[in-house]
Amino acid sequence: MPADRPERGVPVVVRAGLAIAALLLLPFAVGEFWAYQLGLLYLYAIAALGLGLCWGRAGFLPLGQGLFFGLAAYLSGLALIAFEQSWWLLVLIPLAACASGLLAFLIGTLVFRRRGESGPYFSMITLALSLLAYQVANNWESVTGGFNGLKGIPGLPGLDSYTAAYYVAAVALIVSTLATGWLYRAPLGVLWAALAHNERRAAMFGFDTNRLKAVAFGASGLLAGIGGALYAPQQGLVTPQLCGFALSTDLVIWAAVGGRGRLLGPVLGAIVIGSLTSGLRDRFRFWEIGIAIVFILVVLLFPQGLVGVFAPLERWWDRGARRAPPVAAPERSAIAGDARLEIEAIAVKLGEVRILDGLTLRFERSGIYCVIGPNGAGKTSTFNMLTGELPVQSGRVVFDGMTIDRLQTHRIVRLGIGRKFQIPSVFAPLAIADNIAVALWSGRARWLELLRPRLRRWSSPVLDELQARYPFLADAGRGASQLSHGERQILELAMALLGEPRLLLLDEPCAGLSPQETAAAIDVIHWASERRGATIVVIEHDMSLVRKLADHVFVLHNGSLIAEGSVAQVQANAAVQAVYVGAEK
Amino acid sequence: MEVFVAQALNALFGIASLAIVALGLAVVLGLLGVLNLAHGELVMIGAYCAWVAQANGWPYLAAVPLAIGVCGVLGYAVERWLVRPLYQRPFDTLVVTWGLSLLLRKCAEAIFGLGYKSLHEPIGGTVDVLGATYPRYRLVLIAVSVAVLGGLVLWYARSRTGTRIKAMVGNPDLARALGIPVARYASSTFVVGTCLAGLGGVLIAPLVPVQPFMGLDHILMSFFVLVVGGLGSVGGLLTGSTLIGGANSVVSALSDSTGGYFSVLALAILFLWLKPRGIHAR
Repeated sequence: MPADRPERGVPVVVRAGLAIAALLLLPFAVGEFWAYQLGLLYLYAIAALGLGLCWGRAGFLPLGQGLFFGLAAYLSGLALIAFEQSWWLLVLIPLAACASGLLAFLIGTLVFRRRGESGPYFSMITLALSLLAYQVANNWESVTGGFNGLKGIPGLPGLDSYTAAYYVAAVALIVSTLATGWLYRAPLGVLWAALAHNERRAAMFGFDTNRLKAVAFGASGLLAGIGGALYAPQQGLVTPQLCGFALSTDLVIWAAVGGRGRLLGPVLGAIVIGSLTSGLRDRFRFWEIGIAIVFILVVLLFPQGLVGVFAPLERWWDRGARRAPPVAAPERSAIAGDARLEIEAIAVKLGEVRILDGLTLRFERSGIYCVIGPNGAGKTSTFNMLTGELPVQSGRVVFDGMTIDRLQTHRIVRLGIGRKFQIPSVFAPLAIADNIAVALWSGRARWLELLRPRLRRWSSPVLDELQARYPFLADAGRGASQLSHGERQILELAMALLGEPRLLLLDEPCAGLSPQETAAAIDVIHWASERRGATIVVIEHDMSLVRKLADHVFVLHNGSLIAEGSVAQVQANAAVQAVYVGAEK
Repeated sequence: MEVFVAQALNALFGIASLAIVALGLAVVLGLLGVLNLAHGELVMIGAYCAWVAQANGWPYLAAVPLAIGVCGVLGYAVERWLVRPLYQRPFDTLVVTWGLSLLLRKCAEAIFGLGYKSLHEPIGGTVDVLGATYPRYRLVLIAVSVAVLGGLVLWYARSRTGTRIKAMVGNPDLARALGIPVARYASSTFVVGTCLAGLGGVLIAPLVPVQPFMGLDHILMSFFVLVVGGLGSVGGLLTGSTLIGGANSVVSALSDSTGGYFSVLALAILFLWLKPRGIHAR
């Protein structure tokens, strides 16, 4: 993502300065009528910015942003009528915008309570909410003025020319864009992009992804609210249409056509498509049909949108960018002694299938434990159960004295459990450095710190060690999507280690690695166990690897433990031989 | 007794009209995993077909082949050029079909104008049912819905094609390897879904105001029916229709239509938490 390399030196300031100067000088060039039109479009652009944040960054699409624009517009309009020309308005109008942000955050919290396939649900619920808001605004005549809307709203105190209204909108747009740009560069923005690509992986680093999405939606509600709160004094009229379908639709179109994936895409979309529409709608009867077709084509063929056209120019601007030096990450608060994990008589059923059937495993000393067993024995399910992804019917799991079998994934992980998936899961759209940073924030970064871009330069002794072993990890700017399968395996293993977990769950860590890479991976696993004192549980099929790794072996079959002990002991075990007849070397 | 029968018939009618409109969406979402946001607009097109038939003085039944023809051709084109490239990107199908819904709405606006069209019931009058007088057309709608649903279920359970579609849904790659023409079946499934939407539109057209924006309500209600009921079974479709339709009409009667709408939304969100796969999970 070239849009948000951590530090970019002077050009970004120059560029932003040029854009701001252009915005401020524009009214002199285009005259009063267009200044008025543009002022309105700037307010829409602020809302579009928020839509881009949700859709392009955090990966979910709200279809009813008009609700938040309209709500703030009504609140601000009512305040302007009630407190005409009073200085109270300086407090009340920002509060109107904040009310929209708060409502969006609450809705996000409600809808994103469950993990998984909430994407389409979210879109549909937001669409329904905006239609509901339209009905309320239409029917609640005593407050909203009904179908004809709130009329005769006075302007902001002391600002009554069209040019003044233009400047208010322009300044609001500049401030909102800079603030959103800050969020994109901050860890929060990186985490949004990470969870949009792989929410499960992000949760497995201990991040409350539902909360992160609710925050993203809250931010977008606030941006829509800023637009709406300034709309009321600028236009002097607020109608129910603002809450409903039409504006919500336009915002989605502008964000898509402008380019939802980049900060300035939605802004550009709102201003360009918006001005073209207001200039040409009456001249071409089929203008809106054309816009709908353009929208479909953009989604199908040019997901980058209009700003994609400027990508080469941006690369040229960025060519001299240098990375600032790393800063040391805080130490992870460590608990003394070995991790203790007890899995007691766990039963897991999915439908009619018993996946785990009275499974009991104990891990009392640090070391490397291998879990083996035929396909379908319940090895990966054991990991899924441990990390809170499979609901437990009976039994319990105790980690370091805490019962964890009812906790959510991110809470379990924060207790000091790390996991590497069977299929390498790195955040492909992010650079290697950001993948590593996400892992370093795991369990270390507090909520407010997620707003500080310097966290992207965190480094730790474990990272130094890993970079010495695997030089490609230091190739910070390279995209994770360009890595080979083996490199992805190593990157994910490294990311799991960077959280410095007390208990590390590795699901076939060496699958698909070359012999050299396998040897190096085994070396790292031994290092993590011996030098860092971690308890490591490895699922492995390859007995030659098990012999090299395991201090202790568990053999699973049909969801329960059938044997445990050293490699030699389990190989001599009659029950194990019966399960593995013909399958063992 | 009469009051009870009339209420029971009203409830039955409510369920049937919701279910017949949601059926096409259920087929496409349940079997192909595609949330077709233009479903409501296909219902709208069906309703306009009925209006065209009536305005030209054709027999009402002529609207059925007209709607199925228009929606079928549209469905084929949409599947071929918009949905098929995106089977691997399910979220983008949602966005693209949403764009399509916009396009169809604007087209309807350009052709028929923004105003409401109202149709008269093709089968007028009332019938005595156990002492209660009830509009005849509503009874016809209930009967047709039951027949369409029943026919579809029987065909899907018994026919060879139904079995092959099940194979396609279960594992497209394996089905392809067995020589099942997956692309063609996916296309036909989508077309069946859009045709059902058109048919639903023809059926409800005389009972609702027909206008370009009518699809919005229908897609939302249909979607919430599926959220509550769950995908993949007629039982789910009917349970969902009962709960959503019931909540809407009871709360609307107690407060107003906004309250009814709100209760539907609250119910859907509740199910999202408690039973994200609906009552009849597959």
